[in-house]
Amino acid sequence: MVSQVNTRPYANETLTHRAALRRRPKISETLIQGFLFLCGALSILVTVGIVYELGKESLLFFTRQQWEETNRTLVEPMDAAQTTFKMTETGMGFGIGDTIRLRREATEVIDIRGDVVTVERAHQNTTAEAHTVGVEIELSRQVTLAEFFTKTEWNPQIGKYGIWALVNATLMTSFTAIIVALPLGLCVAIYLSEYASTRVRSTLKPLLEVLAAVPTVVYGYFALTFMTPLLRAIFGVNTVEIYNTASAGIVIGVLILPLVSSMAEDALSAVPQSLRQAAYSLGATRLETAVKVVVPAALSGIAAAFIVAISRAIGETMVVAIAAGAGPAFTFNPFKAAETMTGHIVRISGGDLSYDSMDYNSIFAIGLMLFFMTLGLNILSQRIVKRFREEYE
Amino acid sequence: MHRIALVLLIVLTMLGTACSGNTPTPAPTQPASPTQAPEPTAVPAQPEQSGVLPEVNPLEVSGNVVTAGSSTVYPLAERMAERFYDEGFKGQITIDSIGSGAGYERFCKTGETDVANASRPIKDSEVESCAAIGRTPIEFRVGTDALAVVVSQQNDFVTDVTMEELALIFGNAAEKWSDVRAEWPAENILRFIPGTDSGTFDYFVEEVFAKDKEPHLSAANTQLSEDDNVLVQGIMGSPYAIGYFGYAYYAENTGTLKVLSINGIEATSETVDNNTYPLARPLFLYSDAKIMQEKPQVAAYINFFLAYVNEEVVDVGYFPASETALLAAQQAWVEAVQ
Repeated sequence: MVSQVNTRPYANETLTHRAALRRRPKISETLIQGFLFLCGALSILVTVGIVYELGKESLLFFTRQQWEETNRTLVEPMDAAQTTFKMTETGMGFGIGDTIRLRREATEVIDIRGDVVTVERAHQNTTAEAHTVGVEIELSRQVTLAEFFTKTEWNPQIGKYGIWALVNATLMTSFTAIIVALPLGLCVAIYLSEYASTRVRSTLKPLLEVLAAVPTVVYGYFALTFMTPLLRAIFGVNTVEIYNTASAGIVIGVLILPLVSSMAEDALSAVPQSLRQAAYSLGATRLETAVKVVVPAALSGIAAAFIVAISRAIGETMVVAIAAGAGPAFTFNPFKAAETMTGHIVRISGGDLSYDSMDYNSIFAIGLMLFFMTLGLNILSQRIVKRFREEYE
Repeated sequence: MHRIALVLLIVLTMLGTACSGNTPTPAPTQPASPTQAPEPTAVPAQPEQSGVLPEVNPLEVSGNVVTAGSSTVYPLAERMAERFYDEGFKGQITIDSIGSGAGYERFCKTGETDVANASRPIKDSEVESCAAIGRTPIEFRVGTDALAVVVSQQNDFVTDVTMEELALIFGNAAEKWSDVRAEWPAENILRFIPGTDSGTFDYFVEEVFAKDKEPHLSAANTQLSEDDNVLVQGIMGSPYAIGYFGYAYYAENTGTLKVLSINGIEATSETVDNNTYPLARPLFLYSDAKIMQEKPQVAAYINFFLAYVNEEVVDVGYFPASETALLAAQQAWVEAVQ
């Protein structure tokens, strides 16, 4: 169809005026343009959809009141007017000022003496009603943004919502990864672009990029079964725990190395040859040229490569889920186990997670937090690219 | 060209008729399938039964079996029910996982269920309420659930702990081993525990922490996982690590792990069976003679359960009940239906 429409006028084209060529609508062009636009729009729509869904669910996390089982029940019946009740001796504790629920009725705890609790009845627009023996006591849980961003203990099951325990672990693994990947990646990039002959480069670069094709689960077990024993052999078995952020971080460093070196090499190669020649003509050595002329000239590209790599390290999931640890811990010791944000999401959602639980809603809040971290880094990278861009004509 | 096309066409048509011809043919064979003819197939399909129980044919009974109770018994009951269906039972088996206490309540107070699943023996008060609605609960022991508290084989200082020490070791009060017992090394306790979604976690909290999970979860150096392999790997990794999980899992890793005795009692099939091992609990079914006589499907279900439970119980992750206990249960069944 399309070719028919196009070929007929094409035959006459040489005879017609040039202006006619410009004015004629090209259906295939329009189609391709439309398709490309659709692709772009789709990716933006997907992003918007993800942010919307994350936002909606995390909003629930911050606004919804959740009821946690205390494993305590009433041991005596209670009528609608009574303000004290006796509960079972064993179970989870709660304190004065806490809101507790007996079936549908919410009450506020005023006093606790042993197993006798005094409450103010009919809170939160509920009505006081009689309760029988065995009615479960549930404790209200509510998260505040202030707690979320200021506390360092994360354990939604017992009402601890300090995101820093998870963020800190993510930063620990990412920082270790960056320490490994950035210097190494930059050195590789300088070697490939400034020193290696064309033949060496054409073999080495694809080889390096093969690293990026290894599935991350393989890297995870590489960390657990190779890197951790290695670290334990060097620093001592009792210093380095079996699950630790250092080994996961180092392996993530290896994982993002090809990303750094490949992107940085592209940036270095893009520096015009005239700059290098000018440097040589002024008597600079090869090293001086590379470090003092080429690298500064390609700084914006290198910085962008670094930031993309950092985003990748923050978002890495499988390696940390396998090797970094399976319990939230706020620690700066890289040889201790700590659970990262992504690792926590994987573990929590792996079990028998009910949709109506704090844990479930919390994973969206963590996801949103991750999203903002990588978004922030992307914006930063764009700024840096603009700020340090050096243009050579 | 035309000839080849013609040949192809003929071949295709023949294939087509051959294929379509297949669809109507099974119709006459269908009545011969086992679902329609129980008499010849049902008896040889039954594996050999043990003990004093008469054989039951799941195909011959109909109607529903309503059970409720312990979440620990639930996976076992589910497995047995599945097998009962596989053998041809056509009724409905309802298994509600609501906890032993609630299971007794439904069985003894409201009388809604035919069978109560339980991970603790029935209390006197519950027997009384059963009597009030004219039911006399009969106990059928089906297995035992035990937790193994394990350390690495490299650990040479712990062999025995008390229940109080367990609460210290897995709680937030002690950070180092020396905080629990002065002669133990001043090294951090590395804890590896099942995830909070698991029944094992709940049971441990109930037994060791008097149902309060807060000290358990807020203990430092705690790794949680639903995957027992992660726990095994972690515990193996350090002499200062400790963890717990279903005994079945320890049995698979005896080469690398060391199981601790609790209050001086080792978990063996005897101690687990006579309930002296503190982290073991018996698993029961309870029913009533009158129900079993009135509803043959209930009697058949319990019979089937008792006959084949030992083939499944270890796979589900529990200890089998002792031969005597199982035989007693089978005897109780025989007496109940008479």
